[in-house]
Amino acid sequence: MSALRLLSRTKLYWGLALIFLIGAMSSPVSSSGRNIFLSTGNLTDVLRQVSITGLVATGMTIVILIGGIDLSVGSVMAFATVVSAMLLTQAGWTGSALLGIPATTLVAFVAVAALIHFVFKGLARGKGVAIGHRADIRLDPMRGRILPIAGGLTVACLVIWFLSGQVSSKFGVIAVLMTAPCVGLVFGLISGVIIVGGRLQPFIVTLAMMVGALGSARLLAGQDSAVLPVYTGSNATEDFELLRSMAWGVIPVPGLFFIAAIVIFGSLLKFTAFGRYVFAIGGNEDAARLSGVDVVRVKLSAYAISGFLAGIAGVLFVAQYRQGKPDAGQGLELDAIAAVVIGGTSLMGGRGGLVGTLVGVLIFGLLSDILQLHNINSNLQLVLKGLIIVCTVLVQERNLGQVLAAFGLARTKGEVTGGTTGRAGQRTAALQQEGNGGNP
Amino acid sequence: MARREPGELEHSRDRTTAAAQHVPVESGGVLAARAVSKEFSGVRVLWDVDFELRRGEVHALMGENGAGKSTLMKILAGVHTDYVGAIEVEGAAVQFAGVREAERAGIAIIHQELNLVPELPVADNIFLGREPLIAGLLVDRRAMRNAAQSLLHRLGIDLDPDVRIADLRVGEQQLVEIAKALSLEARILIMDEPTSALSAAECEILFKVVRQLARAGVAIIYISHRIDEVMAIADRVTVLRDGRHVVTAPIAELGREAIIRAMVGRAIDEHARRAAADRGAPILAVRDLSLEISRRQGAKQVLAGVSFDLHRGEVLGIGGLLGAGRTEILETIFGSAEGRRGGSIVLDGAAVEIASPIAAQKLGLALVPEDRKARGLHLTAPIRDNVALPSIGTISRFGFRAFAQEAALAKKAVTDLRIRCEGIEQAAQSLSGGNQQKVVIAKWLATAPSILLLDEPTRGIDVGAKREIYDLIFTLAGQGMAIIAVTSELPELLLLSDRILVMCEGRMTGMLDRAAASQEAVMRLAAPGGDHALRSAS
Repeated sequence: MSALRLLSRTKLYWGLALIFLIGAMSSPVSSSGRNIFLSTGNLTDVLRQVSITGLVATGMTIVILIGGIDLSVGSVMAFATVVSAMLLTQAGWTGSALLGIPATTLVAFVAVAALIHFVFKGLARGKGVAIGHRADIRLDPMRGRILPIAGGLTVACLVIWFLSGQVSSKFGVIAVLMTAPCVGLVFGLISGVIIVGGRLQPFIVTLAMMVGALGSARLLAGQDSAVLPVYTGSNATEDFELLRSMAWGVIPVPGLFFIAAIVIFGSLLKFTAFGRYVFAIGGNEDAARLSGVDVVRVKLSAYAISGFLAGIAGVLFVAQYRQGKPDAGQGLELDAIAAVVIGGTSLMGGRGGLVGTLVGVLIFGLLSDILQLHNINSNLQLVLKGLIIVCTVLVQERNLGQVLAAFGLARTKGEVTGGTTGRAGQRTAALQQEGNGGNP
Repeated sequence: MARREPGELEHSRDRTTAAAQHVPVESGGVLAARAVSKEFSGVRVLWDVDFELRRGEVHALMGENGAGKSTLMKILAGVHTDYVGAIEVEGAAVQFAGVREAERAGIAIIHQELNLVPELPVADNIFLGREPLIAGLLVDRRAMRNAAQSLLHRLGIDLDPDVRIADLRVGEQQLVEIAKALSLEARILIMDEPTSALSAAECEILFKVVRQLARAGVAIIYISHRIDEVMAIADRVTVLRDGRHVVTAPIAELGREAIIRAMVGRAIDEHARRAAADRGAPILAVRDLSLEISRRQGAKQVLAGVSFDLHRGEVLGIGGLLGAGRTEILETIFGSAEGRRGGSIVLDGAAVEIASPIAAQKLGLALVPEDRKARGLHLTAPIRDNVALPSIGTISRFGFRAFAQEAALAKKAVTDLRIRCEGIEQAAQSLSGGNQQKVVIAKWLATAPSILLLDEPTRGIDVGAKREIYDLIFTLAGQGMAIIAVTSELPELLLLSDRILVMCEGRMTGMLDRAAASQEAVMRLAAPGGDHALRSAS
């Protein structure tokens, strides 16, 4: 029984293992007799392929966990590719620089100020807070306000100094890696503010943002849906090549970013109060609000994180495909949502996690890889992918017996098939037993 | 899908035999319920209720909140289809499979929340889904309009059939509902609190129509809390209490006092009342509290002029009917109410502004909400996470969760409140109602509040768990915590409270001291249309 339960609880990993196995078994063999699927080149390629979707799916997971959805990630990523490509290839105060530098400065100021405040609060709390005591810590103005603001301003000034120094030439790797994600964060934050402030459906707000960001990206790029090529070494700094290289000769750098995001935000969800609030809001927003959780702040953070990660994905896209283009992210949000859902995160919120998303992204990536190795028609690939998504989610949400019963293939005791009549029958039967003197 | 559960088969067979055992209704009876029972997910709400309606009578159905009135009516109107017992129409046993079948049998129900389409005109609403058609395709607007006109005329209602429902007042909308019911040739009309939103003048028109219908032979079941109104319009009255039938009698035989006694008249149950607490220092002073919510139809004052003091170690009970503004008092104090708040709150001698639950929590307030599943719990999360949620901000350091301390909090809660569970990792949704409620209370006790606000703390939980929660409340009060408890159950209100604040229609109608409090006294203050002068028996 417990073995069965263990099996059912870990079915996601078994799914991944199964796909891996199918890939290895069915893989074509190269002329030298090597299994192509299992070759290092192929597997690292899979990781490289999934990294962009994976980063976006990481942010998407957090947004879905709070009971929201972010449809704008594709467009935001595309916007970030345009910003990155322009900063890399065009010197001077272009639209991207005018947009990117203030955004980065703002984010740096808020982040540093909040961090300093937070650390002081943690220090003031002392070690052993007795259980069951409200400790409403009030920091003195020095540590509560002045030092954080001063620190934030200092860093903000450093950021301005550093970034404007790069404007006259072209942006380097670090400058781009700072700017594009912050622009993405601002986009996410705007969505969040509208959702929270206007009490609107996240679906419709982020849909609007998806359209709006796409248009902004096209405007920024100049001519309609222009492609901005980035040739490292000729029109951009050669250092940028770093972002598509292999770290230590084994792991592709984009994969490193993806894994780092999973680890950092996975820990955030698992080990911090913020993470607990994310789940609490998704599980029952009313209960969380009544429990004194700052629902507004947590929701805003979730959308900001989603935008931030979409921004990083944008930089990696430019490195990978050597271009920035406003249409880069089309369909990306749907791939990300599919990966999140395959990973077992409930679209209703409150249930799931990033480990599932990692597995979901890998399942998706391996699947594409296998289909490509077999040279399957790309349209047929889409059909198969659709099927696989439905099947995986079906297995995730229901146990196998219930699935079979739903199609009339097996009988179960569960309620899933009975509908209202089944439930009603059970209830009345129970009532009758009680009425017949079966009252415990 | 068509498979039937074994229990269901037995159950329908049983129902037919039960129906056969009963003798037919005597002449004049148009609708009867015989030994009807009903339960919702394990909680029984109707116990073998008999009810009989005669041709041409206005039959009032009365009872406290949760007495089972609405459930019984929903069974008669085919809304609830799974029940035990028999329904007879004109002496013939029937079993409605849905609202449509009940309508065909001549039964129409007018719900408290009106079922009209605001954007459509009166005539279209009356004939919605049954529009007269030309050649089976086009709506015959002229025929529909004329039919609506003559129907309204027959009822003596002066309404233009072309006016949109949204442009009518609530009272007029009510009359449209009645016209709609009559267009279905209803012989039995069930009205659920029809006057709750009407002005006095609108009530008069409604009564006129109701009397006229009764004269024309329509049998009317009239559900209302307003005793004066029932005295004025009903021929007979049936009182339900705790899901059981108490009395059916001609209205003239009963009178106001007898009806109130029948509604509340259970002996105070086996719990001993605790000794009156020593009243400690006042901790909370509420003055002139008000709440105004804005709706599409305009602003509505849901709370006005509520003032009281709360002392340490005291349990202040808040009584009143549904919608009297009891929950709103708690939510306004806790900062979670939607709308424009007014009045002042003084906490421990300092005036405070509580704009959000975050602020309330910092000030040492705690609210256990009415609907624990919708507003109290993260159902899929374990007990540990639920109990720790309000405290996490305090016990986390640098934002990192202190898992050991969270577990300790939960373990302490499980032991202290005797929460029956497999362990602190058990999901909240798999607990029984009583234990879920204890988890919600526990998560707030973990924040060591000085004021505890309880909204219906024992709703839908079993007797054993109720007693444990009563004991807990007494213990907490004994330790000096100030408690405000809202409850719809009068015996519970009397048992728990040192003082009772009674609300009626958003206003405070009385403050009863323990010595002066009785079920009758509370009911008298809580009933609308009664003596509304502020009474203070202290």
